[in-house]
Amino acid sequence: MVTWSKPVLEIEGLVVSYGALTALQGVSLTVGSGEIVVLVGPNGAGKSTLLKAVAGLLHPRSGAIRWEGEELSAIPPHRIVERGLALVPEGRRLFARMTIRENLELGAFTPRAQAEKSRRLDRVYEIFPRLQERQDQLAGSLSGGEQQMLALGRAFMSAPRLLLLDEPSLGLAPRVAEAIFSVLGEFHREGLSIFLVEQNVQAALTLAQRAYILEGGKIVGAGEGRSLLQDEHIRTAYLGPLARGGQSN
Amino acid sequence: MLWALLGLGAGFTAIPLFTESDYLLNLGVQLFLAVALAQSWNVLGGFTGQITLGHAAFFGLGALVTRTLWGNGVGILLAIIPGILVCIAFSLLIGGLAFRLRGDYFAIGTLALAEMLRIIVGNLLPGISTIPSTALTNYALLPRYYLGLALAALVVGVAAALARSRIGLGMQAIREDEAAAAASGVGVLGHKLLALVISTGLAGFAGGVFAYYHASYYPQYPFSPLWSFEAILMSFIGGVGTVHGPVLGALFYTILKEYLAVRLVEIHLLIFGTLFILIVLLLPGGLVEVWTRFRRLVHRGS
Repeated sequence: MVTWSKPVLEIEGLVVSYGALTALQGVSLTVGSGEIVVLVGPNGAGKSTLLKAVAGLLHPRSGAIRWEGEELSAIPPHRIVERGLALVPEGRRLFARMTIRENLELGAFTPRAQAEKSRRLDRVYEIFPRLQERQDQLAGSLSGGEQQMLALGRAFMSAPRLLLLDEPSLGLAPRVAEAIFSVLGEFHREGLSIFLVEQNVQAALTLAQRAYILEGGKIVGAGEGRSLLQDEHIRTAYLGPLARGGQSN
Repeated sequence: MLWALLGLGAGFTAIPLFTESDYLLNLGVQLFLAVALAQSWNVLGGFTGQITLGHAAFFGLGALVTRTLWGNGVGILLAIIPGILVCIAFSLLIGGLAFRLRGDYFAIGTLALAEMLRIIVGNLLPGISTIPSTALTNYALLPRYYLGLALAALVVGVAAALARSRIGLGMQAIREDEAAAAASGVGVLGHKLLALVISTGLAGFAGGVFAYYHASYYPQYPFSPLWSFEAILMSFIGGVGTVHGPVLGALFYTILKEYLAVRLVEIHLLIFGTLFILIVLLLPGGLVEVWTRFRRLVHRGS
């Protein structure tokens, strides 16, 4: 397996369970510095569980999660953000009865992010002018696409070095999803590492340098993003007959 | 909007210059206590979203400590401070445990704790507490009025400062989504404990003013769950989670209660119960929301 650069995030033999149910059964993977890594897999495979464990929202039963060599699994979530890992959770999870501006300010809650707050706020408004126009409105009043922009902006405010994204395109119109992916590409060019869980396998694998396939709590495959698009298992299980037929153009 | 509160404060400061009516000054003290109870509850229940039904425990504790010290010859201002400190210490003692509970369980757990405390105090101190006869002959309403006003001003000032601060933002984020707040860098337990300390410390101060104001009462009376329910009622009527709401709610509640209690005696409880249900269902933003809707209409019209 090719690792493109020095890994910043290393997950080794990770086991997470909810009571008697084991969601992750010894998952190992790495994300390199400046890499975009994608995790694909069916519903219930444990993708969200993996991201939550990395963000510190779930405690693994065993295994290691290392960020630049430091073990993360005993560190509370708010200290993990401080180290430069930012989660964009599934379903946005915005602070609905607070304004857009307040949501963004909360993104920059850690002392480290406070220092860069105004510069980053300008940058978010530059990327998503719509958020600036509506900055004093409640986050709950935004459309689905705008909410995802805000969730992304909020994570960006924390001055992250690794973005953990849980299905950012879920429920979005194709054009809006495309815009979100293009922003991710831009963040990546600016040096951010990205670990992306995504249902939109075609778009995700096109963007990714490497990808892992998670099924039933285990990694069942891995490879370079674009080459996985040609993989027989991926094509039958995730891309469906339409994608297979449409590959010719 | 903050100007409205400052104007209100100035108005209440000036009232005794124009009237010596005991009735109005008494109503004023009750109003200040109501504002303090509602707003201090609002810090924990409104801003931070931890709906406690045990707020009266701290009102009662503050009253108990301050009353005991003051009755034994300690100056009132000096007697209030230990009342506040005991509340803070007790809240930290139970906080770690109580915050393991969430939502309804937290509400019920805090109610149970407060009721335990009320029953213990009722059993240990069954007699009525009356201030010494010397203090009774010198009893003056004016210092009670101004101490109450100072209390209300402090509590509202703390809430206003908190609402604009980074810490207050973190508390509101916890109310909206605890996991997302943690994932944004907000230390959840630390912020909850801080909200608890501020809320209960201010309730303890209010208890101290209560002890200074009332000539005689049963020591368990300020522990009554009714104080908690009233604080919640006033916050919701005015606008829970806002700075102006609990003040507006306290004004509305105190004046309407005074009006209704004289005419309808106990039926006013039924009326407030109905009002509470209507507001939660139809106007979750409380009276403050009526004002913002009205302003929006005016802006659109102009």
